[in-house]
Amino acid sequence: MEAPLSAPVAFAAGTLHVTWPVVITWGLMILLGGGAMFVTRHLSTRPGRAQAVLELLVETLDSEIGATIPGDPARFRALIGTLLLFVLCANWSALVPGVEPPTAHLETDAALATLVFGAGIGWGIRAQGVSGWVAAFAKPSWVMLPFNLVEQVTRHFSLVVRLFGNVMSGVFVVGIVLSLAGLLVPIPLMALDLLTGAVQAYIFATLALVFIGSAVTGGEAPAPGRQSDPPAQKEIP
Amino acid sequence: MSFDWTTFALQVINLLVLLAILRHFLFRPVAAMIETRRAETRAALDAASAAKTEAEAAAARAAQEAKASAAARSAVLEKAETEAETRSAAIIAKARAEADKIEAEGRAARAREDSAAAAQALARAQDLALAIARRMLAERPDGPHGYAARLTEALEKMEAAEREALLGGSDLTLVSATALPDNVLDGPRAALKAYGATAGVSTDPDLIEGLELRSGSGVLRNSLAHDLETLGRAMQDDRSAA
Repeated sequence: MEAPLSAPVAFAAGTLHVTWPVVITWGLMILLGGGAMFVTRHLSTRPGRAQAVLELLVETLDSEIGATIPGDPARFRALIGTLLLFVLCANWSALVPGVEPPTAHLETDAALATLVFGAGIGWGIRAQGVSGWVAAFAKPSWVMLPFNLVEQVTRHFSLVVRLFGNVMSGVFVVGIVLSLAGLLVPIPLMALDLLTGAVQAYIFATLALVFIGSAVTGGEAPAPGRQSDPPAQKEIP
Repeated sequence: MSFDWTTFALQVINLLVLLAILRHFLFRPVAAMIETRRAETRAALDAASAAKTEAEAAAARAAQEAKASAAARSAVLEKAETEAETRSAAIIAKARAEADKIEAEGRAARAREDSAAAAQALARAQDLALAIARRMLAERPDGPHGYAARLTEALEKMEAAEREALLGGSDLTLVSATALPDNVLDGPRAALKAYGATAGVSTDPDLIEGLELRSGSGVLRNSLAHDLETLGRAMQDDRSAA
């Protein structure tokens, strides 16, 4: 039996060892990218069901982003939407027999958190400038500088640990129960994994949005759901 | 537990690629479609708003035109009424003038007719007067003897009963305008005596001239006054007949 916390190697290309989480991620990329291309190939102003679902997703993302970060939500739509869809699909890939979710491995979660960390730095510097972004760490007092620097690492590390722990534990529980009780017993736990996976995807995307918003607004961490300037819309009389 | 940095790096790359794919093939097209629909909705709303504004402007223009039309109609009616009153007054004045003219002409014609009738009546009166004068002159007795002879003749021509009644009356008198001599009265007295009567003598200037026989029963007329009265009555009858 392999170590549960190690990523098994799928194949090797020379010295490059490609693990199963990477392969499964490629599959998810093909699935998401192909599905997106398939659904959006014939967009219409009178949407079908699939287009309506995608538009609902986009409008919900814009609404959440607009409630958290002032300004145009389109800046963060692709990143937050990609995080949400990937984490959701990765978590739910556990339902496919023989497939282990990529998010059940620390490298994938770390990659996701790294993406959020880099986005926070990039958007923070873009919004406030380098000096402003650095000065934000000394707020409200320079005494807080080391604590804020540590917080930058720890809160992204918490993203990794939270997602990894929840998904990995679900996979472990299902695997243990499956090895002990048989075929049908893990089904309720798998259903619970569906809920947990969706909740974790939402939490990860929301926290990523809050962290990026905090970097953009200069260290004032906006609370999710705070009313902010909505996207420009013409009022319908 | 180990951390595979290769897997970590590949996953970072994978996520960046997935981000690019979904940004290009999912979020941008869908957001663009949403924006397109919103733009169409805004355009439709703007068009509806513009149409509404235009309709309101058209309604306002129509109301203004209706108001102007009503004002123009009132002005035309007022002008027509004024013209009608003016024309009516002119027609009435003209009619009055014509009526006055006709009335004046009528009065002039009537005056002319009256004048002509008066002239005609005057000519007729003159003719009648001339005829009367001629007749009187023709029938007038020749002096007191003539009247005495005509009285005697009339007494003889009377009906016997009438004559007896006249002569039988009281106060039988021969009346003349002026006192007559006896030679004039002899003829009538002789005639009265033939019927067994005698008469007194008296005068009455109203007779003008002539000799009448009067009693309590009647009068035998024989005077110029009576003749004139008879001619005047005849003229009156002729006028009535005309």
